[in-house]
Order: sequence, then structure tokens, then C-alpha cells
Amino acid sequence: MNQGYNLADPRVMHIDLNSCFATVEQQARPLLRGKPVAIVNRRTDHTMIITCSYEAKAMGVKLGMRLKDAKKLCPELIGLESDPPKYKYVYHQLMRIMQDYSAHVRMKSIDEGVIDFSESTQLLQSRSMADIGHEIKQRLWDEIGVAMNCNVGIATNRFLAKTAAGLHKPNGLDVITHENLREIYDGLDLEDLTGIASHNRARLESVGILTPLDFLDADEATLRKVVFKSVNGTYWHQRLRGWEVDKRDFPIKSAGRQFVLDGYKMPRAEVLKRLHHLCEETGAKVRSQGLVARGVSVHARSYSDEGRGWGGKYWHARSMSPTPFFSNQTIYEIAKKLFDDAPVFVKEIGVSCYELSEPDDSQLSLFGDQLAQERAVTGIIDTVNTRYGKRVIHSADTLSTNTGMKEKIPFGSTRYMD
Amino acid sequence: MTNEQFANNEQFLNEQIEVVAIFRPGRTMCEPVRFRRTSGREITITEIGLRHPTSPGNRMVHMFDVTDGGADYRLEFDAERLTWRLTMEADRI
Repeated sequence: MNQGYNLADPRVMHIDLNSCFATVEQQARPLLRGKPVAIVNRRTDHTMIITCSYEAKAMGVKLGMRLKDAKKLCPELIGLESDPPKYKYVYHQLMRIMQDYSAHVRMKSIDEGVIDFSESTQLLQSRSMADIGHEIKQRLWDEIGVAMNCNVGIATNRFLAKTAAGLHKPNGLDVITHENLREIYDGLDLEDLTGIASHNRARLESVGILTPLDFLDADEATLRKVVFKSVNGTYWHQRLRGWEVDKRDFPIKSAGRQFVLDGYKMPRAEVLKRLHHLCEETGAKVRSQGLVARGVSVHARSYSDEGRGWGGKYWHARSMSPTPFFSNQTIYEIAKKLFDDAPVFVKEIGVSCYELSEPDDSQLSLFGDQLAQERAVTGIIDTVNTRYGKRVIHSADTLSTNTGMKEKIPFGSTRYMD
Repeated sequence: MTNEQFANNEQFLNEQIEVVAIFRPGRTMCEPVRFRRTSGREITITEIGLRHPTSPGNRMVHMFDVTDGGADYRLEFDAERLTWRLTMEADRI
């Protein structure tokens, strides 16, 4: 274990598009530039803001605020419905530019990614990382558009590179090395550190760690035995000093989708149609990765006492099957059965498949013929949908849900993005 | 929610248009420069904001978000059918 700071040259670059969806909209529509813009997922009174432009942020508009409330703070706020194909295009352009510099690129989400230059060619290593960062910014302007700004953070590990990228928004470029590490931490709050939210903050504060500098100075044993009570304490001790502990790829563990219902106190039959729709999308996601599932999990959120608030009780249920499955119909049958115990009136539903694995055809099944038939039918449906567009073939039950439940951009992993 | 409540004056259309476009290397490769609406009104494009492709199945439709300085427009070029459509218009707010 490394006790001291990492003295190596910074070779990890984190790139983060500023207020991504709002910036893309301002790029696409020049007349919106310089104006407060908020992106929402649907045109309803209670819709929540998923991102907003810097002009809106300057007026106090925040993510997660209802558009209706935000307009009280900023009456000139322009609400736009999200346009996922546009954001996917920019995501692919950003990824293409990043991949021009290294084969070691990892996209962390739709608007951020990491380039690891530690295994790059001598030629690239001989260049200043800050110069490469400025070049990438210039390429974003030249190849996507003049409104596209990004933050670049450079450091010796992924954690510090992300921290650096958040220091001067928008359009910053910062480098964190062992020389300015303490100075940088001195200007931050505990919750400015990626991975530290209220729960971890409370843990740290309980042992007198009140600032990032206190966190940096804490010894490894205290973090491991007292604060985190696990090897995570050791990881934090290393991470804060610039050593890489986050260079890991996690296997896909689950796939699913959730949906905020488009009606108040919707009858159960209508809710089930939407659940069926989610099951079809979940099945397609699982199969697109060539995987099969063994578990289905469903969740729902009921209304809070006030009726229209965002509180409400969370309910969930899950079921494991002895044999793997992959078809939409099987996923829906399991989900529907689980949903029998759900609260009567719900405002949000979700379904996911877990225990995902590669199909194992080596074991003979008693229901081999039935399985082969199911696989053939599902395969043909997927082929037609790939050729002619998503949901060209779907169950008759979900005929009425097509317009209201169009796909939105997921936060987090982009591994299912085509 | 109405457009007024949304503070957003987008009008969604599906209008076949005639387009003059230049195909040349550059940011968008294909640059619509001028289009004529069914009413006969001609619009000169002053800036292409973004060009992005969409794939309804294996078909390719290129979306061009453009402006003439007074309004933003969305033009869709169907690369299979070779047709141009105006699908959105939004005046300056």
C-alpha cells in the first residue's frame, strides 16, 4: 500500500460536457444561446428539470426542480422536451474525438468520459496534457459546434481528474498534482468529493473529519476500521493521494427501466399496460447484449399523503427463476405476478432483470422444443425491430403506450446505448 | 401544458419543402443553404446549429437544426427516399 502522495506525472484526463443536454439544445438552436433553458422529459405541469443551462442556473434554477416552480424563480425560462437522438449523437462525437488520442477511453455516462494516457505512445506522452486538453476543447467547437464547451480535469487518478474537471465550470481546465493537492482540497467541502454524500459525510464527521484536508490527513487504519469498516477505507486513503483504485470495469448486473405514470391514480389495467411496455424494453436490452436473465425485480412508488408530492412509499418485489429466460412474455408474466402485491395507486413503476449471464446451451432442457420455439420467435421480432425501427412489432396490449413512453436518456451507464 | 406555459413556441410540422444544399467536406458534410415552403416563402439559412442522424430501423434520416436569424427550423433529410421535410419552426422568443 502506498502511504505517500502519488508523485507521477498526471496522465488521466476527465472530460465533462457542461450542462450537456441544455448546451446541445443551445448548439442546435442558435436563438436559444444566452437564454435560460431547462430540459424536461415531458410536457406536464409537474415535470422535473433534468438539466438546465448556465443562464438558468444563475437565476437559481436547479436540477430536480419542477418546471412550474422554476418558472417562478425565472419567468423567462424556456422549457424544452428532451431529444435523446441529438444527445446520443454528441456522445458518439465526443467518444470519437477522445478515441483519437488513446485506446484507453471509458465513457462514464452520456456526458463524461476518461482518457488514460498512461499506456499511450511516447509521442503523445511527450506532449503537455494541458495542450491536449485545449486541443480537445477546440475540436469540440470545430467538429460539433461553437456552443459546445467542456471541462477538462487532469490528474494521476480518475478521482482527482474528475475533481479537477469540477473546479472551474463552465469550460475550465485544471491539473491536480501532488504539488497543489492540499491547496485544492483546502478550497473544497466534503460533499464536493465524488462519492461523498450526506451518509458518508455523517460517517466522517462522527470521527471528527470535517473537511477534505482532515480526510486526507486521516490514517488508513481509522478510515478502514472506524469510518468505512471495510476495505473501502483503504481505497479512500489511496484515492485521495492520487493513487488509482477506480480503474475497474464492472460486469453488467441488471437491466431495466422505470417510468413516472402519465395519469393521476391510474386504474390498474392501465398501469399493467405500461408495465408490459417496460418489460418489452427490458427484454430487448437484455437480448441486445446477448444475455439471459434469471431474476425479475419490480418496484413502485405510491402517492404521498399530500397526493401530488414527490414523497410516497417505495414498494418492491423480486423473484428468481430456476432456469434462465429472455423473452418479453416471460419477463412480463413474472413481473405481473409480482405486481399483484403492489399498492393500489402508484405514480412510478419500474422493472429490471438481474442475474444476467451468457446463455448456456450445454445443458439439455426438458422443455427444449418449447425453448427453441420461443428463441426463434423472439429472434425474428428483434430482427424486424432492428430493421424497421424500435417497437414495430410489440404486443397488442401495449398498443396505446407507444407515444407516451418513448425512450429517454438514462443517467449513469451508457452500455446499452446504440 | 400549452406552448405558452412551456415558454416555448415550437410548432411541429410535417411539410415537404424544396431545398438547395451544398455537399462538401466540413462539419456537417451536407449544408442546406436555402429552402422554399409550400406557401412559396423562401428562407435563407444563416447557421446550421447541429446535424445529427437518426435511424428509424435501418433507414437513415438526417436532422438539420438551422436558423435564418429570425426563427429556428428543423429540416429532415431522408437519405433513403431523398426527401426534405420541415418538421419544426420556432420563432425568436
